[in-house]
Amino acid sequence: MTSHVNTAGVQLALISNRIEGIVRKMSNTLLRTGRSGVLAMARDFSCCVVTAQDELLAAAESLPIHVLSGPDLMSKSMKKLHPCFKKGDAFLHNSPYHGCSHPADHTILVPIMDGEGNHRFTVQSKAHQADIGNSIPTTYFGNARDVYQEGAIIFPSVKVQNNYQNIDDIIRICQLRIRVPSQWWGDYLAMIGAARIGERELTKLGEEIGWDTLDEFISDWFDYSEKRMTNAIKSIPSGDAEHTSVHDAFPGTPTEGIPIHTKVKVDGKAGKINVDLRDNPDCLPCGLNLSEACSKTSAMLGVFNSIDHTVPKNAGSFRRLKVHLRNNCVVGIPSHPTSCSVATTNVADRVANGVQSAMAQLSNKVGMAECGAINPPAASVISGNDPRTGKDYVNQVFLGKTCGAASSSADAWQTISHVGNGGMCFMDSVELDELRHPIYVHSRGFVEDTEGAGYYCGSRAAFAIFGPQNCSMDIVYNSDGNINAPKGVRGGTSGASAYQHKIDKNGKNVSVPNCGRITLDNGELIVSYSCGGGGYGSPIERDPNSVAKDVSEGFITVTRAKNIYGVLLDSVGGVSVEETKKLRLSLREEVSKFQ
Amino acid sequence: MRFAVDTGGTFTDLIVEEDDGKLRMFKAATTPDDPIRGLMNTLENAAHEYKTDLGELLSKGELFIHGTTHAINAIVTGNTAKTAFLSTEGHRDILVFREGGRMEPFNFTVPFPEPYLPRALTFEVPGRILADGSEMTPLNEEKIIQIIDLLKEEQVESVAVCLLWSIVNSDHELRVGELLQKHLPGIPFTLSHALNPSLREYRRASSAAIDASLKPLMSEYMNNLSGRLRDAGFIGRVLIVTSQAGVMDAEDIADSPIHLINSGPSMAPVSGRYFAKVDEEYDSAVVTDTGGTTYDVSLVRKGGIPWTRETWIGEPYRGHMTGFPSVEVKSIGAGGGSIAWVDEGGMLHVGPQSAGAVPGPACYRQGGEKATVTDASLVLGHIDPVFFLGGEMELDLNSSEKVILEDVAKPMGLALEEASAAIISVATENMVQAIVDITVNQGIDPRETVLIGGGGAAGLNAVAIARRLGCYRAIIPEVGAALSAAGAMMSELAYQFRRTHFTTSKDFDYQGVNHLLENLRDSCNEFIENTGKGAIESKVEYFAEARYPEQVWEIEVPISSHIFESDNDINSLVNEFHKTHEDLFAINDPESGIEIVGWTASVKCRLRDTEGGSLVTVNTQDTIEKEREAYFVNQGFLPSKVKRFESLQIGEAVVGPAIIESPFTTVVIDPGAKAYRKVSGSLSIDPGVSYE
Repeated sequence: MTSHVNTAGVQLALISNRIEGIVRKMSNTLLRTGRSGVLAMARDFSCCVVTAQDELLAAAESLPIHVLSGPDLMSKSMKKLHPCFKKGDAFLHNSPYHGCSHPADHTILVPIMDGEGNHRFTVQSKAHQADIGNSIPTTYFGNARDVYQEGAIIFPSVKVQNNYQNIDDIIRICQLRIRVPSQWWGDYLAMIGAARIGERELTKLGEEIGWDTLDEFISDWFDYSEKRMTNAIKSIPSGDAEHTSVHDAFPGTPTEGIPIHTKVKVDGKAGKINVDLRDNPDCLPCGLNLSEACSKTSAMLGVFNSIDHTVPKNAGSFRRLKVHLRNNCVVGIPSHPTSCSVATTNVADRVANGVQSAMAQLSNKVGMAECGAINPPAASVISGNDPRTGKDYVNQVFLGKTCGAASSSADAWQTISHVGNGGMCFMDSVELDELRHPIYVHSRGFVEDTEGAGYYCGSRAAFAIFGPQNCSMDIVYNSDGNINAPKGVRGGTSGASAYQHKIDKNGKNVSVPNCGRITLDNGELIVSYSCGGGGYGSPIERDPNSVAKDVSEGFITVTRAKNIYGVLLDSVGGVSVEETKKLRLSLREEVSKFQ
Repeated sequence: MRFAVDTGGTFTDLIVEEDDGKLRMFKAATTPDDPIRGLMNTLENAAHEYKTDLGELLSKGELFIHGTTHAINAIVTGNTAKTAFLSTEGHRDILVFREGGRMEPFNFTVPFPEPYLPRALTFEVPGRILADGSEMTPLNEEKIIQIIDLLKEEQVESVAVCLLWSIVNSDHELRVGELLQKHLPGIPFTLSHALNPSLREYRRASSAAIDASLKPLMSEYMNNLSGRLRDAGFIGRVLIVTSQAGVMDAEDIADSPIHLINSGPSMAPVSGRYFAKVDEEYDSAVVTDTGGTTYDVSLVRKGGIPWTRETWIGEPYRGHMTGFPSVEVKSIGAGGGSIAWVDEGGMLHVGPQSAGAVPGPACYRQGGEKATVTDASLVLGHIDPVFFLGGEMELDLNSSEKVILEDVAKPMGLALEEASAAIISVATENMVQAIVDITVNQGIDPRETVLIGGGGAAGLNAVAIARRLGCYRAIIPEVGAALSAAGAMMSELAYQFRRTHFTTSKDFDYQGVNHLLENLRDSCNEFIENTGKGAIESKVEYFAEARYPEQVWEIEVPISSHIFESDNDINSLVNEFHKTHEDLFAINDPESGIEIVGWTASVKCRLRDTEGGSLVTVNTQDTIEKEREAYFVNQGFLPSKVKRFESLQIGEAVVGPAIIESPFTTVVIDPGAKAYRKVSGSLSIDPGVSYE
């Protein structure tokens, strides 16, 4: 009954639904079978289908920074490097110089061939690894001078399965170099499993409805998606906007940090959006440079966060979006041996935040404030020897970061993690972490008066205090946002900046750097404060009842309610309506005086 | 005589089982302001049919089994008790943070959800237990008494307590319980380790919070129910359906009302399992229940009913996770009332918006102005406008034609019938995807199942769904319109006892595990002797929750021997784990050892000696051969036989194109499909293949 309707609009609905079902199936498999915390907890993985022409067809709901661009580039490199690829092959890819996001994102590519041996699709499953054999136990090596100091083994689409069998040479290389090899092996199996499920299901679909029919559908689907994108662009005001978002100074960066300048042009008439990232510094001798995939994706992400969220994200809608990059630019196209160790987060977030904040200048119905920067120590890679088992461990923890930006239509999603993550990240259970690792989590929670205030509010900051239990522990983190807090837009205020320190055995606070590797001795604790997120619109226009609620819930103080939001409360915590009106009138006058 | 009543969103279903095993089915409208009134109304209806009075009818009953959405409705409408949350000092925000995660990563129109219990009513208890059960910081009782004073001031009606690691050392939680009892008498509370002894503080806290918040309301409801039944003359036992596809005594469930979250839908797979077996000798089934606004899917896997601890009230990540074991039911917004619409890019969508029961589809003529699935079925000739719900409500074909033309046919450039068929196709595909999702999660291949169609509208596209999934048969039980109530009639007393105890296959803690299993066994035996007294048969099964080292999620593996004596016992557990892992996820890691986190004993007591039963045949005068034009994709309108469900003989085959209808349901038999009447009364349909 379902597969015989020949009308385009119906077929679109039916087949797109089925292809989305396939990537969802891949994704569920990967999530449930992965071993490392970063995969299962942070959901730092993605699954997608790319056409034989290297166009992104569908991606499962996953980290936005993973999939908008990258799969297309990796598919291209697979074909170029292995012109004779065939059914049963699988390729391991993590090269940021060949389309991967960053070396920690091991990706499995499986080409899908029809019965006659024609290449039809490439399915990809990508998962951030807990370790990739870097010179220090972290996959985010912010101060790596170059890829040599970084130490990752780079796999530029290396064949890892032949005729559905592992090529053991490659497996052995990984097992001898990667810390806790069983964890990597488990994730590898999970990725292969997901890709093969994708292969099986897509082959079934192609054979059931015919490969050529499927091709026709894909062409319609891209046209449909392009039309939706054009309409979405036409529905917002045209114009040019610019924004500068500064990444904090880290080792290897200029002392003033890295200012990232984004230019956005919305052209409603042509139905196009252009993002220009070329006016930015050259690649730097550190791990913060973006890969080509992340440069493109972060810009696209800022756009898609700003417009109608129901527009499909695929090669069709991407036709309406142009990202201008240049070679050897920190937010452009790097060349070997530039390190891109931290390409998916820190500087990439500055790009995405820049684009969405620039778009917010166009209208109060568009764009978002800045999300907070990461990664505070609460998201460290921890490592050491577990005294309970005598075994070494390395893993990333996710103990608390918030960082959500306010949008043009709602308060922030508190646990957005960072703009490139889109809130997909899970948070660790304290009990699970304490069971898995020799760690003690003293406390965690929200921090009062830290939200980016606005008509819509950004996230409040989160804190976490933890340390080793009966041993010492190394932690590695790169906390951007200590200096450059997430900015608000259209009158919204900035969210709180990040901060961290250590509490030594005597209970004394000791300062620690914003980026690097430190050792915590038994009895010491690290205190981590994440950023908040920026607010959208003026806080003195915010619904007073929402302000009163935040006071009663203990998120903001009475003083902040009065000074920032112009809201006065009565003795039982309700809004004093008349007094609030008066106060807000005078605050508005004050604001207009300065304008 | 036994009664099973399922209170759903729209209808309250009653199934009466007579002493000879014959069943009768009754329906009445649900009365949300006082659901027990609707329940009593169905009983009145039954008494009327039996030509007796209510007291007389009820006095013959030994069992009254009840499934209810009252608990979940109370949560959704915010009518739960004013409840405080006590957590470990330094961990105030467990219910606010939740576990992170989000759906629709590009959608920034949805704000972050409110915590289940307000932060203003959250209090931090000084004292800390560590992962190994040792006490790092002692409990500060003075501070707790101060907190209790604040609770009095706030006039809280219930209290939830969840302290870190109470699952390995419950001393602190128990002491807080004692202090609450002493200093806050009469106020109910829930201790997380006693209710849901599982790892991960958010899930345990969420269970405790939900449970505590339901206690005042649900104990009142249970008292009220038992009281009104007694007053009306019922002297038997009142049992309540739980989320875990079992039943419990009404007074027990008042003590842990979280068991009621999926009361009702959890019974559909119990029915489904029975009909899959008796009609087609299948032990795996996809069980669907089609309502006006939602489509519920549950499963039977090799005779078992898969469950999950990740049940959400509301949408994933936007609602609240119960953290409490429940039959896995996937619910999507799809049903007769789902609205069809065409987006600006020209693509057809069906749902998730629904016209509901009010105003309902356009053909109801109650103010509905949108094209719905029911309207499409009417235009296609699948539903008879004068025989909807047995003719209780006449449908207006003109209204359906008008809305489908305007909303779908014109914008897409399709003929009216094509547009209507397209609506059904898209609705079907949405349902298929819901089934695909849940079967993937549970590692089931739909081609190895039969499809059970429950709910009055199931038959409209059951053949299409079965074809698309490759199911062996589509079965429409005669009691399908009251699938959950029928399941309740077949259900068993059931309870799960759980303990957390971490060990590994490499370093197995024989003593600790055997001691724990012995404890679990004692608990089960006590249950059998008390609650299960008089049962026909009892059964205890043991399970381990295990994972590969470093994996984050556990899976449940049955344990064959409940004493671990040697390496052999451990090896068989490990092998069972590898096998289950492969069944679920298509891969395993046979070289790896495993870690075991939790242990469960599941006890069941069977109350009836037979499982099923068939409906009493109501004689219909309406046995004349009829025919009407019904539309099928690519074939247009075909003359189709119309048969009455009740008048089909056992073994009689109906070859498509045909329509089989009863006052409760309409079943479309597509060309190429063939339906048979089974001894149980079910219609079993060989979906066949469609003609090109």
